[in-house]
Amino acid sequence: MHIPDAFIPLWQSAIYWIVALIFIALALRWAKNELSEDKIPLIAVLAAGIFAIQAFNLPVAMGTSGHLVGGALAAIVLGSPYAAVFILTLVLIIQGIIFGDGGITTMGVNILNMGVIGGFVGYYGYTGLKSAGANIYLSAGIAAWCACFVASLAAAVEMAVAGTFPLVPGLIAMGTYHAAIGIIEGIITGAIIYFLVTSRPDLLAEEVQQPSAGGVSA
Amino acid sequence: MIEHLGTIEQDAHRDSPVHRLDARVKIVIAFAAIIAMVAVPYSTLVIPLFAGYLLVYAVWWGLSRLPLSTLLWRYLLTLPFGLFIIIFQIFFENPYYDTFTPLFALPLGITVYVQSVEFASILAMKFTACIIWIILLSSTTPMEELLKGGRRLGLPSVMALSLGMMIRYLFVFADMFANINRALALRHFAAFDRALPYRYRLTTLAYAIGSLFLRSYEQGERTYICMQCRGYGKRTYEALPKRPVPSRQLGVVAVMLAIFVALPVMLYIAPF
Repeated sequence: MHIPDAFIPLWQSAIYWIVALIFIALALRWAKNELSEDKIPLIAVLAAGIFAIQAFNLPVAMGTSGHLVGGALAAIVLGSPYAAVFILTLVLIIQGIIFGDGGITTMGVNILNMGVIGGFVGYYGYTGLKSAGANIYLSAGIAAWCACFVASLAAAVEMAVAGTFPLVPGLIAMGTYHAAIGIIEGIITGAIIYFLVTSRPDLLAEEVQQPSAGGVSA
Repeated sequence: MIEHLGTIEQDAHRDSPVHRLDARVKIVIAFAAIIAMVAVPYSTLVIPLFAGYLLVYAVWWGLSRLPLSTLLWRYLLTLPFGLFIIIFQIFFENPYYDTFTPLFALPLGITVYVQSVEFASILAMKFTACIIWIILLSSTTPMEELLKGGRRLGLPSVMALSLGMMIRYLFVFADMFANINRALALRHFAAFDRALPYRYRLTTLAYAIGSLFLRSYEQGERTYICMQCRGYGKRTYEALPKRPVPSRQLGVVAVMLAIFVALPVMLYIAPF
């Protein structure tokens, strides 16, 4: 769902860029206050890791393939939606400028969809479901699915506003495709969280009370 | 995508008049080309403009001494999502037109309109005209130079530092990604092998991705500690030596900017 250059008129792109910049500034402030600004290298290296993670081709039903976006994953593990905004911004800059995936004028809208919408839906979906009593892996999975699905709907709406793709067919096409891809994103994210909890429980310190002691009701 | 990183970077480290230009010059030219093309409204004006862009671009690509196959290969890599949108255009009535003439009708009541085909072509041209400049930029400028150029053009130092760290480790993780895939293949694991149970494939992939996540996180922790040991602080990337752009290169920028403004204006005043 990387919207390329020329698919959104310049003035609309500018608006999305401004909104994205506000969130990037908020993410930098989060990094300063919560992480201490010095710790930014850690996030930057993790962003490189997320970039590599996106390269894994995952089998989706009926022979199609998809890949992880990873925004929800980053937000859940680092405990803030701004982590996703920060990491996806870095990833999208590299994708846009080095690989030509996405664009320059549309980078703002892409950061908005995948970083901001994906990150916030992923993080608050996760915390919401968890506080409603669901187990953490299921919460993470559903939240990651929602992040992927909602971000794709946003992209469809933005292209409809731009006049480059009609609203209803766009919502149906983008929605169904990403609802399917999102299932993989959800399953894999849930399984990664499980893997992280068993191998580095301190990473998710707030969420888990020692799974080995049987604290998690699975 | 990361698997092509090495190839792109190798191209960027070659030598040619375009490679030798200051990174700032190329960044400004590429961004100006893209913004100018995006700013042109969706109209038939795009068609001659696209031809003009291709002519100008041919000179640049020729000067870069990179093979044409590189351009085509990199163009194909960026296509999927854009192509999907462009192809499906032809089945819809577009808000940029008032009247629609059916070109031909397909079963199930689907009609292809002349105007929609026209719009799809215009979109494809605009898309292509933008993407080729990104390809030129990244195929002739090493990432480190791009970053320094960006920093000199006023990219905030926090972003420059983060991107710099990320770029260095991208290559580490590209190798790691290749290693993991090789290790999986050695054990006869294939993500798309129907003979393996779906659940098993997903679990294996999830754990492989999870371990990559963990390794990058731990690499981040180690790097952070090592940097602190060497006196890293918030203002590390501030000390970039000043380097003025040579006046001849400034001339190149001026000429290119003039072309990107003049082309659409001329075509608007005197259409072909």
